Amino acid sequence: MTDETIIKERSRPGFIAGASAQIGLLAIVAVLWLVFSTLAPGFTSPINLFGIGRSLAVDIVIGFSQMVVLATGGMNLAVGSIGVCAVMATGFLLQDAGMPVPIALAGGLLLGAALGWLNGFAIVKTGVNAFIITLASASLFLGAMLILTKAVPYNALPPEIGQFGRMRIGGYVSPLLFIAIAIGVALFILYRHTLLGRQILAAGANPRAAEMSGVPVGRVIIISHTLSGLLAATAGMMLVARLGAAMPSVGGEDWLLPSFLGPVLGGTLLAGGSVAVIGTMIGAALVTTIRSGLLVLQVGNFWLQLFLGLILLAAVMADRYRGIFLERRSMGRK
Amino acid sequence: MNALLRRLLLVEWSGILAAIILGSALLAWLSPAFLTEFNIYVMLRSFCVALLIGFAQMVTLAVGQMNISVGALGGLVAVLAGGMMEKMGVPLAVAIPVAIAIGAFCGLLNGILTERTGINGFIITLATASAFTGINLGITQSIPFYDMPPALVAFGSDRFFAFPYLLIAPIIVTILLGIFLSRTIPGRQLLAVGGNPHAAELSGISRGRITVLAHTLSGALAATAAILAVAQLGSAQPTIGSDWLLLSFAAPIIGGAALTGGHVSVLGTTLAVILIALIENGMVLAKVDPYWVQFVLGALILAAVWLNRWRAVTTGTD
Amino acid sequence: MRLSSDKIRGFAASSILAGFAASFGAMGIAQASDNKIALIPGGPHPYFAPWEQAAADAQKDFGIAAVDFKVPQEWKLNLQTELVESLAAQGYTAFGIFPGDAVGINSTLTELKDSSIPSAALAGCAQDPTDAAFCLGTDVYNSAYIGTKELIKAMGGKGAIVHLAGLLVDPNTTLRVKAVETAVAETNGEVTLLQTVADTDAQEAADQKINALLAAQKDEIGGMIATGYIPSVVASKSLRTLGDKRIKFIGIDDDQIVLEAIKDGFVSGTMAQNPYGQGYIGAYVLDLIASGSCTVKEDAVWIETPQTKRFIDSGTLVINADNLSTYKDDLKKVTTDIQSNFKDKYLNCQ
Repeated sequence: MTDETIIKERSRPGFIAGASAQIGLLAIVAVLWLVFSTLAPGFTSPINLFGIGRSLAVDIVIGFSQMVVLATGGMNLAVGSIGVCAVMATGFLLQDAGMPVPIALAGGLLLGAALGWLNGFAIVKTGVNAFIITLASASLFLGAMLILTKAVPYNALPPEIGQFGRMRIGGYVSPLLFIAIAIGVALFILYRHTLLGRQILAAGANPRAAEMSGVPVGRVIIISHTLSGLLAATAGMMLVARLGAAMPSVGGEDWLLPSFLGPVLGGTLLAGGSVAVIGTMIGAALVTTIRSGLLVLQVGNFWLQLFLGLILLAAVMADRYRGIFLERRSMGRK
Repeated sequence: MNALLRRLLLVEWSGILAAIILGSALLAWLSPAFLTEFNIYVMLRSFCVALLIGFAQMVTLAVGQMNISVGALGGLVAVLAGGMMEKMGVPLAVAIPVAIAIGAFCGLLNGILTERTGINGFIITLATASAFTGINLGITQSIPFYDMPPALVAFGSDRFFAFPYLLIAPIIVTILLGIFLSRTIPGRQLLAVGGNPHAAELSGISRGRITVLAHTLSGALAATAAILAVAQLGSAQPTIGSDWLLLSFAAPIIGGAALTGGHVSVLGTTLAVILIALIENGMVLAKVDPYWVQFVLGALILAAVWLNRWRAVTTGTD
Repeated sequence: MRLSSDKIRGFAASSILAGFAASFGAMGIAQASDNKIALIPGGPHPYFAPWEQAAADAQKDFGIAAVDFKVPQEWKLNLQTELVESLAAQGYTAFGIFPGDAVGINSTLTELKDSSIPSAALAGCAQDPTDAAFCLGTDVYNSAYIGTKELIKAMGGKGAIVHLAGLLVDPNTTLRVKAVETAVAETNGEVTLLQTVADTDAQEAADQKINALLAAQKDEIGGMIATGYIPSVVASKSLRTLGDKRIKFIGIDDDQIVLEAIKDGFVSGTMAQNPYGQGYIGAYVLDLIASGSCTVKEDAVWIETPQTKRFIDSGTLVINADNLSTYKDDLKKVTTDIQSNFKDKYLNCQ
């Protein structure tokens, strides 16, 4: 199964099949947009589009931070904890240490990468499952943050940070969305066109085979976790801009669900060896669309969660049956 | 074969057992309150629900599946049971089996959806979790049901010296589950499918049916946990289950279960839950500064896992 | 509900409170407004249940086009802000918000202000600097402080107390911890703070932690104070189970379990808040501001709290065995008092 995916990723027909899966998901998103904007005019109002774009941007990057670890067949349950550590570090550097904005942001990102590296290092050195290591480190990182900051938020940050988060390009696009897309492009290039990217996927698909063919599996896993930490910290920085403050209550376990939803809906395998960069973005878009659409439709307060679940279920099943249908048709042709 | 199995089992949970013994000794030495009757009662009582949550996840892990909806399913069952008893006056003896049946049905739904669509169970249960929580909130509007039958509340809080009556339920479940997994044909098939799906299918085991079975069992176990939680809290709270997810994974995995399936341990999971209960109790007893609680919890889990791992490596049973 | 709002609009006043509204209205018609006001709690929580009635009453009594009670699906900042954004997109003209996160909500309030949509913090405050027009709610610091004082009184002025606090990452928890510490420090060592147990906001965690605490130290503990809804309920139940009336306990809010424990003498008292009044008055004032007929008076006699400079106390009172049956009337009286004086005290109206 996983070996097939890897081969597909590399060969031309496989690439088209992968793209068609993403087109299918995109079609579902498009249909939902059509439905929501017809039923509720408020859905396409500038204020709502801006809101959707901004939430989407953060969710995409959170999804990426999980995706890069899923590629190796691991998991990172500490994405939220790393994110909040980076957030508070940036807040400290800006407010208490009086650092200029670029240095403070760099400091936050660096801390995120370092914590990610720590995860990767522990996993490779001990050989314990990534799930367990990151379960424990999530608690460790969050605990260390609480001890150091006493959970006091930093809310006197330079005003330009909050202004950036509220900035609207052309009336309804958040600059945060461009950051998310730029990261997506970089990751796409990494996995499709670089040796490192191919090594990561090979290590995820079959670590033993990869090791034998000369891939430094341990190093690749550590790099992936470092990248995951860096991306989680990036999502944290985006939230600092969005909220205009650095708070201990962002991140944590709240990120767990969105971090898995985007990549998995987009077609990233939990078993490792495959990534779907564009799929992750569309997957996150699907979730954000459903959530926002249901809000605008004013589905009864407490029943909203039920509809979210049902539509999610319908969406994954529609995607699945579309895939099966295509497969049958192409097999018939052969 | 049998001797080898026993040796493997021994290695698997001996690390956790060592941590439990060391931890208990340390706590007994640090705090005189640790070994008092009431504290032992408190620990045993907090252990009950957690164990069943761990089992609910363990049975899906056994076939290489995951059940992200354990908590949501538990919360739904809790409020349905509460609603039946408070609003409809359903007697306790009827409400409990019905509630467990509802839980099993929700699990069945998870299983059938996973099996029929061929979509990863992780995604299916992620979606159904949202649906279950939605029904829960829709019914309760986040307001708990308070009027629980006195017999249920008494069952949840009464004790015989240090022994909470609540503990009877998990003891029965543990024994039944142990027998089911090791002595019955469906139980063995469960592990066979998780261990090597292709080989199992070749030997005539229906992989789909076993997947559905595991999910159904998981639902019934989560429902049982929910009823115990209602008994323990004395009211049917819609928030029951909201923080079960991490615990549900932590317990079986610390107890030696493999995420890939085929390998779970009832005893290991039980010991892991004891360890977690011990850690949480110890934090309060040792008056750990609240800001340190998270940190110490993480460090202790890591230590327990590392110890377990170290045993496995040194005895060469990696 | 929403469909029938137009019919309701014309309806004559029926309650006493509506009488107040009418007595204001020298202008009569000006009271019937086109505003759509949303009352938004931080997430699903029984505390806010009275807001639904408050919204319906305010809509009827003040002739507002719509006052709707909207609940975020979960107690999470991003879900709350997304709900607010979405409602703003649908043409809601004013927001009464409980800041589930006192700091995090501010950027959303700023955006609302940029779109000329007024907002107010209800039930709890947003942390200054904020664009909320005002904060009408329980002064969390003061409530915890008064509660601790009450507890110390019940304990006869000496002993050791334990503070059962809420989520550690919530800025309000930090304030409450400070308040309890201050009240304890004022006793000059007569009362000591034995321990602060935090993160007791989930039922099961609270049950576990509070029982473990009682198991370990019930002989050392003279009193306990809970500053969160859930620990307050759980501790009331635990004390009843323990059957120990020696340990004094002050809770918060008027959950049925807590009230019954007060009646039976297991709990000394609880700090009542005024959720109905917060929602009702909040909707009334937001309507006036959103209509453009009134602005907030900068130099009014606001109460200054550690959180904000523009605070109005919605009433904090201690419920104990004496006023158990009458406290609801007391709160109602507080509500009508605040509402009838609000214009004069805090607003500049044309």
